Amino acid sequence: MNAIDKAPAPGAALRLISGNHACALGAVAAGCRFFAGYPITPSSEVAERLSRLLPEVDGVFVQMEDEIASIAAVIGASMGGVKALTATSGPGFSLKQENIGYAAGAEIPCVIVNVMRGGPSTGMPTRPSQSDIMQSRWGSHGDYPMIVLAPASVREIYTETIRAFYLAETCRTPVVLLYDQVIAQLTETVELSDGENRAPAERKWASGPRETYRPYAADEDGIPAMSRPGAGYRVHTTGLTHGENGFPTQNPEAVARNLGRLFTKFERHREAIDSWETLGCEDADVVIVAIGISARAAMRAIDIARAKGLRLGLFRPITLWPFPEKALRDATAGAHAVLVPEMNAGQLRLEVERILGSQRVHGLHRYDGEAISPEEIAARAQALAREKTT
Amino acid sequence: MKSLMRDTRIEIRIGGTGGQGLILCAKMLADALCTAGKHVAQSQTYEPTSRGGYCNSDLIISDREVDYPLATALDCLVLLDRMAVKPSWALLKPGALVIADTRLCPELPEGNYRVHHLPLSRTAIELGSERVANIVALGALAALGTLCERKALEQAVRADTPKSFLDINLDALSAGHRLGKQTAPLPA
Amino acid sequence: MSSTIVDSAAEFDVRDYLRKEMMPHFLCPGCGHGIALRALLWAIHELGIDKDKLAVVSGIGCAGRLSAYIDANTFHVTHGRPLAYATGLALARPDLHVVVITGDGDCLAIGGNHLIHACRRNLKLTCLMLNNEVYGMTGGQVSPTTSETRLTTTTPLGNAEPNFDACALAAAAGASFVGREVTHHVPKLKELIRAGLSHPGFAFVEVLSDCTEIFGRKNELGSSAEMVLRQKSELRPEAYRDTVDTPFRSNDLPTGVLTKTDRAEYGTAYRKAAAVQRAAKAAKSAAGISK
Repeated sequence: MNAIDKAPAPGAALRLISGNHACALGAVAAGCRFFAGYPITPSSEVAERLSRLLPEVDGVFVQMEDEIASIAAVIGASMGGVKALTATSGPGFSLKQENIGYAAGAEIPCVIVNVMRGGPSTGMPTRPSQSDIMQSRWGSHGDYPMIVLAPASVREIYTETIRAFYLAETCRTPVVLLYDQVIAQLTETVELSDGENRAPAERKWASGPRETYRPYAADEDGIPAMSRPGAGYRVHTTGLTHGENGFPTQNPEAVARNLGRLFTKFERHREAIDSWETLGCEDADVVIVAIGISARAAMRAIDIARAKGLRLGLFRPITLWPFPEKALRDATAGAHAVLVPEMNAGQLRLEVERILGSQRVHGLHRYDGEAISPEEIAARAQALAREKTT
Repeated sequence: MKSLMRDTRIEIRIGGTGGQGLILCAKMLADALCTAGKHVAQSQTYEPTSRGGYCNSDLIISDREVDYPLATALDCLVLLDRMAVKPSWALLKPGALVIADTRLCPELPEGNYRVHHLPLSRTAIELGSERVANIVALGALAALGTLCERKALEQAVRADTPKSFLDINLDALSAGHRLGKQTAPLPA
Repeated sequence: MSSTIVDSAAEFDVRDYLRKEMMPHFLCPGCGHGIALRALLWAIHELGIDKDKLAVVSGIGCAGRLSAYIDANTFHVTHGRPLAYATGLALARPDLHVVVITGDGDCLAIGGNHLIHACRRNLKLTCLMLNNEVYGMTGGQVSPTTSETRLTTTTPLGNAEPNFDACALAAAAGASFVGREVTHHVPKLKELIRAGLSHPGFAFVEVLSDCTEIFGRKNELGSSAEMVLRQKSELRPEAYRDTVDTPFRSNDLPTGVLTKTDRAEYGTAYRKAAAVQRAAKAAKSAAGISK
């Protein structure tokens, strides 16, 4: 018997749930009413939870025949106007990429959970990694915008799942929720009050007469209103480049106009999209940039280092893509070194180097299936501080 | 007796082999602590071989939100099988509390630890099922570690036990508690 | 001289169901796909399906492009995946009438896995597979239904692979409605599609449709009229057996409704089970409150 299924004691402020469980609860709270998925370690618990939760709220759960079918069914459900989620891990995420690109290009809202495990290929299915940082942004072919959220705790998986739906719906885009195996299967005490009382985000629906509705003509905010099948608009949706009327076109002007809008459509929503956390960056000699379990290790490393007189700080992007560039520059302005601990060979470091230049930026990389420990980070930061003084 | 709860961060590992109910045991303890308002992070080995192979579940307990949720230095180690000794011994803090099963984990390496060898599995067999050794261990841990109210623990055991196992689990918890209490406290 | 297309069913005007702004269409002269599209729209008309409640999902290829011409809620999705998209759409929106238009490559090669599972699942969908034995859009490569020995741009030695019998495959995978028809018999094709649309589960309809411009030319099969006439030669009923000398396809293919079984529709079964669970839970919590 899985004891975690038990309801919390009445009146308990805290409850113990796993990261994947929190994701399922967050999805339902956000108004998600459709899930399609395929079993894959270490994300299957999201599917298992939702197979029970969705029928309770008149939603639909379906286990599809493969990873591609899962994302396709999710996009199909969202085309029908229903908030939809799928969850997977690295190999499945790779398989979904073509259709994630379709959702980006046709501007169909959906949320894709990717629980990162060791790779490449089958890799280490039960071991954590953070090696899909680049795939989550650049995994599909062609140019397209992408929002990727990177929660670092069970509580944050819950709140970021809700925010993922909010951003997907309001920006008409696929949103990836990216977290590692440790956080996914960790059970933590959480208070699930945040976001629970917030009304689920509503998609911007088409209104007005059919004759004047242009499905890809955007308003001021860069987001075109979507039409719900059955509402009388009878529009065409395609993965081909399309004009404002939704029909395929290869007219260079029409293509450039629509794609130009697509690539920049998040710009007017950055306030809602950008999210990050800083810890002790104000006086830090060394600033750590990390996500997920590596950020949790950094939090402890700061305590260890500060006890020894070393001023360490943490910059943690919660929205990973688009990367909060300005916030990173501000947080690291006074630091003489920036350390990027991550469970891969240098993906986040590459982005940090792009923003800050490579001179101050150092990596601490592990790809052996073991989380980076607070002691490792503290020791490396101390070595960097020593380099500076000598 | 030294309480484990004096520090703000406490790390506990319950180690043994898959199928011994270690994760459930840790879950019950976590539930009891959660009810008491503590912040807990529970992790476990998550390998394809669930039965017979090495298995552990770790708890990190704190008064505030847990920062790093994985074990770094164990304050307490419960050993239900000798297989768990090797992967865990190097993580022990000096002076850590070690509770080991006399039958399944008879020999331990040297070290400056508060070691208690207790007949956990034997007690479980006497109660009628070796499967409740995890609950005996839980009782003993609660008594020796003074982690939480016994009542809260009993409530957690009740909540997480199927009806058919409830009586024996409650007996096992009491028996474990007695084992812990009867053990002469060792100098810290 | 009026250019109005007059149909045998006088009240059916195909233009009521087409997006006129998309004309002229892009199909080659002689292509059978237009006939299949017309038969589909005719059947939709006869059944009185509301265009606002009609959703057409299509994949990639010549057949995939047809959805754009239909005045309905149309979705032109990724190669091979229209059945998977349609599964999500139909499950999420049981009030919609969902039709899939796919080709032999889209449905049987890249999308083959989705086909067999859609057959097994028995969600209410109508899948219209237009079989022209070739990848026409990409220039004429061999497909899973290309007859043996046929020439294509990737079988210069003649196709050495046996082809799929799509209907036998669908039936074996558990489809509760399977049928096949040719573009030669327009009213019969309309009747078959109509029966498929009316079926309360997953309906698989294969339409044998000629690719005259690429496949026909490559294999020296004559004019489009000659190709359409050849369709009769290898298809039951037996009456047509002796009317044309050279068989177009190597094997005889039966037409009409081939399989029809009565099986629980997936969406209905799922929603029913969910309602039972919700009711049980509500009763339990009501009992808890009354205590």
